[in-house]
Amino acid sequence: MQNPFEPKILAFLCNWCSYAGADLAGVSRLQYPPNIRVVRVMCSGTVSPHHVIHAFQRGADGVLVAGCHIGDCHYLKGNYMTLKRMKFVQELIRFAGYNPERFRLEWISSAEGVKFAEVVRDFTEKVRSLGPAPSFEASPRLAMGL
Amino acid sequence: MKTKVRQLLEEGRVDAFLAYKTIHGVPFPTLFTKENVDELEEWAPFKARYPVTKILLAQARQNPGKTFGVLVRGCEERSLYELFKWNQLSPDKVVVLGQACTEDLALYCECKKPFPDQLDYGEAPAPVPRSRRLEELEAMPETDRLQWWLSHFNRCIRCHGCRDVCPVCFCTECSLEHKELIPARKLPPDSSFHLVRAVHMAGRCIDCGLCEETCPAGIPLRALYKRVNDLVENIFDYQTGVPDGKSPFSMLGDESFLPAGPR
Repeated sequence: MQNPFEPKILAFLCNWCSYAGADLAGVSRLQYPPNIRVVRVMCSGTVSPHHVIHAFQRGADGVLVAGCHIGDCHYLKGNYMTLKRMKFVQELIRFAGYNPERFRLEWISSAEGVKFAEVVRDFTEKVRSLGPAPSFEASPRLAMGL
Repeated sequence: MKTKVRQLLEEGRVDAFLAYKTIHGVPFPTLFTKENVDELEEWAPFKARYPVTKILLAQARQNPGKTFGVLVRGCEERSLYELFKWNQLSPDKVVVLGQACTEDLALYCECKKPFPDQLDYGEAPAPVPRSRRLEELEAMPETDRLQWWLSHFNRCIRCHGCRDVCPVCFCTECSLEHKELIPARKLPPDSSFHLVRAVHMAGRCIDCGLCEETCPAGIPLRALYKRVNDLVENIFDYQTGVPDGKSPFSMLGDESFLPAGPR
């Protein structure tokens, strides 16, 4: 029997809001799919485009970046930077031929455990419907020229 | 060129002037001072392009007290504006003379502004507002585009030529050399090499196209960065290579960008 496709989703959660939100979802015993792998970062603003693109390269089917709501950043303005940077990265990977729906930016506060579970559920379903991510790796075996 | 540069040097307005000298029939960027001012040539249009502002930046870093003059094309003047904005060069330490590009060079570059604001030599050719290469790429279906880019990134030999020739790549420490972010000893490098460089070009690239010209693997980098410029203009309403404004990526927070509170 063939195993159904289970997407791998990498999530960068900010320490002050979204990680605490995920924690709240946990202690509230909210159910959400186990496809998500969490990387805890001090601020969503520390997530470099390197990390997002690297994740896709290493076989992530989806990447989620979550931080505090605009105006609530622990470092005051870190998430302004996240917003600018990630909006740009999303458009760039679209131009590179990668489905931008595999990438999502969300604002989740520490009180929004329900929202966290919802976002993960929704995103997992979305990525599942998109299927396995195409390889993002330039490899010497790839046929030249198309 | 002879008279204007000689005048600048003799009046002491500049300590050195970066112009061109013909060597074996090819114009080559040369630093002129009072000593070799007699070697200056008459200006004539030519097609060779060099990262002159990068040479200027290196000179200015070595001689912080000195004032330099430079002969620039449209793209080189744009790169000067960017270097001023990013606090790499001081505007009062640079004197600019400008030359227009030839018409076929403008067509080849698909250049939006093939002449500098400060135009001293030559006649301004017509700007080329649209890039045919970019339009072809955008018309391509998404999956084909991914394969198209990968087939090009595939040839990368990781010489860092695109970065080294880039007039607005002024960082002294480069994340493309970070061994964990871009794994070492891997050829071709991860496609993140080019995509991350493209992100770093956002709000800086002035579309001179030297990266593509210098690339030994012939990767069509210019199309990538032209698109980056379009994105920055569409998303942030910011144009690179103009004297005023500041890159949206150089400011930490822009309050007017978004209202506060949950959305």
